[in-house]
Amino acid sequence: MRSEIATTRAFGGTAAFLWTEVLVQAHEELAMATAMVTQVVLLVFVYILAPSLIGVALVGSVVFSTFTLGQRVLNEAAYIRIDHKATDLYLAGPMTAEGYFLGMAVGILVVYLPPVAILGALTVLVAHLSVATALLLFGLSGVVWLFAASIGYIFSTFFRDNRAIWAYASLFFNVFGVLPPVFYPFGYFPAYLRPVALLMPPSAAAALVQSRLGATVLSTGETWLAVVGLAVETTGLFVFAAYWARRTVRGA
Amino acid sequence: MTAEPLRAENLRKIYTVKGAPPVEALSGVSMAVHPGERVALLGRNGAGKTTFLRIASTLLRPTSGTIEVFGYDVDAVPERARPYIAVVPQEGKPFFHLCPREQIYTYLRARGLSRETAKSRTEESLVRMGLTEVADRLAITLSGGQRQRTMVATVIATQAPLLFLDEPTIGMDPFARREVWASLRDLTTKGSTILLTTHYLDEAEALSHRLYIVERGRVIVTGTADELKRSVGGTLKVVLPGAAGRASEFASFGETVPDGGTLTVIVAPERLGELMDLAVRSHLTATVGPVTLEEAFLRVVGRKIDEE
Repeated sequence: MRSEIATTRAFGGTAAFLWTEVLVQAHEELAMATAMVTQVVLLVFVYILAPSLIGVALVGSVVFSTFTLGQRVLNEAAYIRIDHKATDLYLAGPMTAEGYFLGMAVGILVVYLPPVAILGALTVLVAHLSVATALLLFGLSGVVWLFAASIGYIFSTFFRDNRAIWAYASLFFNVFGVLPPVFYPFGYFPAYLRPVALLMPPSAAAALVQSRLGATVLSTGETWLAVVGLAVETTGLFVFAAYWARRTVRGA
Repeated sequence: MTAEPLRAENLRKIYTVKGAPPVEALSGVSMAVHPGERVALLGRNGAGKTTFLRIASTLLRPTSGTIEVFGYDVDAVPERARPYIAVVPQEGKPFFHLCPREQIYTYLRARGLSRETAKSRTEESLVRMGLTEVADRLAITLSGGQRQRTMVATVIATQAPLLFLDEPTIGMDPFARREVWASLRDLTTKGSTILLTTHYLDEAEALSHRLYIVERGRVIVTGTADELKRSVGGTLKVVLPGAAGRASEFASFGETVPDGGTLTVIVAPERLGELMDLAVRSHLTATVGPVTLEEAFLRVVGRKIDEE
């Protein structure tokens, strides 16, 4: 009867925990619908107040959707660690902490992909995106998701009480997803703050797509800043999240 | 795997929180758990049991001392120890939106077991823990006891060489508890080793080969349940209603405990006849019974508290 002694390998258990998370999240139909509320409300405002900007706003809604998945990772990671002790159950075993983190993040992405896909399809149709621009939008949205999921997981390890999370998580993800030029043209943002916006993944991604659409003009330097910023921040944060996930198993 | 399943030497853990004095949760705990043993860790709330279990299961770092799981240093190389262990966390809950069958199966898959093995172990565990009727109901609809059974079933299904169970039967009815006991006994006969904490002393007595009693971060007693009972002066207790004021007359037989008007005397079996003679001569009625582990525990820990 001796058990199969699994050896731990990097990201071990990712696929299995991904599937676990899909099964868990799939029961939250209402949450899937509410995942679109902020975006739809903003789109309605833009459609009424400045219909010519609806294409830009739709691009922003896709980016914002993947960005706010980080908030769901934060909530889920904290909830199942604090309330269910799932971290203890899963990580005192051969499953790796980074596999647990990545599995959870991808599982949430899979379940919340339909609302994103709906907004994406709408964007392609309304903003008349070419295949290349659509691929750029979805690719950059994926990068934003990875950034947000990483930061969400890292933040989750600092909370000891779920009630505190509701306030801080919502504040963080709404401020960084709505205030910077995500839903509106990058050119409307104060010039002296533009480098800051280009260093924030959601607004950097939106600016790059807007530039491709011709809705914004980015200088070569600004384009590089956005591209390099996105790549470095996302890679760095993802690597740190994997490291942090391992580190916080003991004493999280 | 020739090394001991668990060996701890002089383990200390001090919790430090900003603005508060440090708390020493473990003050030099040493213990060894041998292959196939079921060992219970007993103690009052806050005695250090869960801290020890969390360190042993790689979820907390010790302040000093060493602890090994199958020869692997838990602090230095936790990733080497983890494949050998499984944990039922204190107050752990299954995912509310999974049914027990999904919970167990996905957990086994996350531990790296093949589909076939995970499936057969899941079904076996559901049967063992009496969960077949609710196997496909979401955990959110289950009772507290059924959820706890799901947690235990999940961990038992791993058949890990070393299981840590932190209050595994809390909230379960007596029938369910006995099903858990039977499953744990079965696991150890097949080679697993178990370290559990519990506040149910009947559970500790029925289940464990050896006990460790922890008080304020120190092991104060170790041995079998019988040894612990003998350590309080006898394995029998004689209850003498209306004799509370006559404790001094019975003090030579063993420990005397006045409670209200009643006097309880702990006595060795070989001196029972003598004590009963005295009771009859004193026109007292007497009831004889075995000392329970709970009574022995209360005496041992109570003495320790009095000393300090």
